[in-house]
Amino acid sequence: MTRISLKQTCLGIASVAVSLFLVSCTSSANNRFWGRTVAPTDNVLRYISGSEPESLDPAFGTGQPEARVYMALYEGLLEYHPKTMEPIPAIAESWEINEDGTEYLFHLRKNAKFSNGDPITAKDFVYTFRRSLSPELASRNANLGYYIKYAEAYNSGSRFVRDTNGQFLLKKDLVKEGGSETVESNHETQGVVTEFHKFIDSPERLTVKADEKERAKQLEADPKLKAAVEGKELVPVRDEDIGVEAVDDYTLRIKLYQPAPYFIQLLPHQLFRVVHQPSIENFGKNWMRVGNIVTSGAFKLSVHRPYDELVVVKDPNYWDAANVKLDAIEFYPLEESTTMMNLYKGGRADAVYNHIVPPAWLDEIRPFKAEYMDHPEAANEYYSLSVKKPPMDNLKVRQALSLAINREALAQFRKTPKPLSNFTPDGIFPKYDEARKKVFGEKLKAENITVEEWSKQRLFDPEKARKLMTEAGFPVQKAGNGWSCPTFPVDKVTLNYNTAESNKAIAEFNQAQWKQNLGITIPIKNMEWKTFLPFRAGVQYQGMARNAWSADYMDPFTFLNLFYSPQNDGATGFWDPKYDALLDSANKELDSQKRLEMLATAEFQVLQEQLVIPLVTQATNWMKKPYVKGLYPNPGTLHAWKFVYIERDPNKWDVNAENIMKDEDPKVEEQINRVKATMIAQR
Amino acid sequence: MLSYIIRRLLIIIPMALLVVTVTWVLIRMAPGNFYSSEKKLPAAVEANIKKKYGLDKPVIQQYGIMMWNIVRGDFGDSLKYEGQSVNEIIRRHFPYSATIGVLAYILALILGLAAGIVAALKQNSAFDYGSMSLAMLGLSVPNFVIGPILVLIFSLWLYIFPPARWGGISSIILPVITLGAIYAAYIARLTRAGMLEVMRSDYIRTARAKGLSEWKVLLKHAVRGGLIPVVSFTGPALAALLAGTVVVERVFAIPGLGNIFIQSVLNRDEPLILGIVAFLSILIMIFNLLVDVSYAFLDPRIRYE
Repeated sequence: MTRISLKQTCLGIASVAVSLFLVSCTSSANNRFWGRTVAPTDNVLRYISGSEPESLDPAFGTGQPEARVYMALYEGLLEYHPKTMEPIPAIAESWEINEDGTEYLFHLRKNAKFSNGDPITAKDFVYTFRRSLSPELASRNANLGYYIKYAEAYNSGSRFVRDTNGQFLLKKDLVKEGGSETVESNHETQGVVTEFHKFIDSPERLTVKADEKERAKQLEADPKLKAAVEGKELVPVRDEDIGVEAVDDYTLRIKLYQPAPYFIQLLPHQLFRVVHQPSIENFGKNWMRVGNIVTSGAFKLSVHRPYDELVVVKDPNYWDAANVKLDAIEFYPLEESTTMMNLYKGGRADAVYNHIVPPAWLDEIRPFKAEYMDHPEAANEYYSLSVKKPPMDNLKVRQALSLAINREALAQFRKTPKPLSNFTPDGIFPKYDEARKKVFGEKLKAENITVEEWSKQRLFDPEKARKLMTEAGFPVQKAGNGWSCPTFPVDKVTLNYNTAESNKAIAEFNQAQWKQNLGITIPIKNMEWKTFLPFRAGVQYQGMARNAWSADYMDPFTFLNLFYSPQNDGATGFWDPKYDALLDSANKELDSQKRLEMLATAEFQVLQEQLVIPLVTQATNWMKKPYVKGLYPNPGTLHAWKFVYIERDPNKWDVNAENIMKDEDPKVEEQINRVKATMIAQR
Repeated sequence: MLSYIIRRLLIIIPMALLVVTVTWVLIRMAPGNFYSSEKKLPAAVEANIKKKYGLDKPVIQQYGIMMWNIVRGDFGDSLKYEGQSVNEIIRRHFPYSATIGVLAYILALILGLAAGIVAALKQNSAFDYGSMSLAMLGLSVPNFVIGPILVLIFSLWLYIFPPARWGGISSIILPVITLGAIYAAYIARLTRAGMLEVMRSDYIRTARAKGLSEWKVLLKHAVRGGLIPVVSFTGPALAALLAGTVVVERVFAIPGLGNIFIQSVLNRDEPLILGIVAFLSILIMIFNLLVDVSYAFLDPRIRYE
């Protein structure tokens, strides 16, 4: 009887496994493309879109996976430019903005239709805006519409105050505000004057809180206000009070309570994409189901199997249907990046969404230049600092910790991101980058240093870090080959991050940097995401907390806003009324270049006070097959699907994705120019 | 026997409600909530959400409303997936998990029983060592390793099966093998051990002494007794398989209940968590009952009053 020992069996299996692995490493590198690359015979894009959408209601879903599906199903006044994400005309052909930037007049195209053939008119937009902002819908994005006059008051259920003569109390008579004062109506009106316009253009009314307890608190804090409101009638702010008006069927007017130059950038956002009133009212909570749903975008819903696939097909009723090149898009909602990569490699998906290629795979993927997208994203990653708690309340400690990190090395280690010494990501807002250079240059003149040198030093300067730490009262001494800083209170500083392999790797990298360059071993601690959120937001942490932000709209304000108002998202404990006032006045500035310079001044303050430790600008990090055209690595990875097409001629396939943003695809450019033509003609 | 079954069935409902209550307390103790995200919400928006979902009511009242609805079989709507009821989500995704699970278990039974019985009969043979080594390997290599290796070979080199996603028979072969492997290994070892023990027992000797053919001894007497460990394993194993397995569902992108369950916890989707927990606990209790009942048929020494 022959006996095979356990050892022999194991050895055999192990050797087979190793040889299989080796074959896998060598087999793909010889090909021009990664994995199976065969252009489909039909015009169907198979796209991996991220988690299962929370909802198909554009007012409801907040994430990017939802946004990508909404961009196929719904259209708004404006759409994102496929490359830059600047707003381009969609259902609005053209628009006018009054000189103080508070009033917008949109001219809608007359041939826009819902998927059931109903025309899309200004009234549908009024309905959409009112619905998105209604307290009953409780949209988590509602605050994006707060710039619209009385939108916040309506969404928070506030009350107007009416005296016995039927006159409403005005805000300017009773509320003193730090920086922002109400805008007076000393401008010319856009479009015809209507009754509603007279109301919405009149001085802003006073509003008080709806909840009795909170109202009492509000009035208690301001005796003058209390006296004025006492005995007066409280009138709820209704949906028809918000500053959105259908002047006629194809003219929509929006009134803001104060200038917000980035408001136009916000309008392609899902919250403002138009929905169909009759079907929503008819079907109630089931309106989003296949068969019931009526949409406004270039595609309409055909199949929805949650967690499996969501298929949209070209909508013949769409106003620009003749120029929609895809017949259908299959969205695959997946969670596991390896699975996505397998589907992509196996030729069963044509493109994946951002941040999908795992760092360990990058060396293999990067050579496939036609497919790999590595462009900067409108997103940063940083550590928030608890600036009100010792020892982080000491500016020098914060600066030392920041300077002790070698960001170039960090970026190389992580393979995709770019090192960041500023707070607003570099290379996303070109005009702002210029303004920043100018403003920082002026500020730094006194210190006799150029912006370039200063930025370079901020990326990594261990010498200065040790000096600052010593000056802060925690002397850094030479200890053998390294450094030690025995007096630094490591029990009071922890680096907290939300559980994820990548966050852990970065935390460990930075921990090693501090150890190496300052001789300080800072403890690191991970937390489950939903546990981490309130912990960070409430600045319950001591020391540092991982943070990241991706732009809501294409304006640097979306980043600088993180330190605005006492309840800001920066999660540092910082609040400075002067900073708020600076941002307010920047947003009132009509000269856009001057405005950007004011914003840069604000950013300089954030950097000088070292509220956070900036780490990197994120990279988009995704892949698409070379035959998918019109799909660009824009800063938000949000794609206007009607520009996408399948190219069957391999000679016209993408060769190098690095040039994809510069190269002009005649097919796509022609389409963009045609869409934009109306906008230019009417200006 | 019948009264025993009825008693066991009756206890399932209060047990499930108890499990739901404990789970509810645990969810409420966990920090965070379903609407929290990177972006902090303004107070007004948060107040609107709380009002919409009844979270502004006193906690006891919230518990009362929830329990009252659950007793009537209504777990409410998911908080994460707007407009979808929990019952609908479970109904929709359970069949995927159950299909993969049942097929994997059938595969495991066929492979495991065959290997186990033969190994026991031919103890210390090359087959015995070979199959048991393989079983050991199957037990110790986790399915998140087996799955990707299968994908690599069959999907990315040979392009035979799709690497992931649901759709047709070809798409379920790899997940079924991945999922079944570990169970096959376990069953093989249990069967072998059970059979070895039974084959040495007195009643087998008696059967042989009566002059029964070796086949009859094996099939009529030995296998029945030797299978008891496998049967006790089957109850919880099948319940777990039906409920969906997170790893395989994620690796192969199968829209099953296991992945949804994990997501619901990460999303703090309270009604969905409670619904799935209640469903799973009932499933497990029923399977345990089936196992206990089947003992009576397999082993004449076991009687239920």
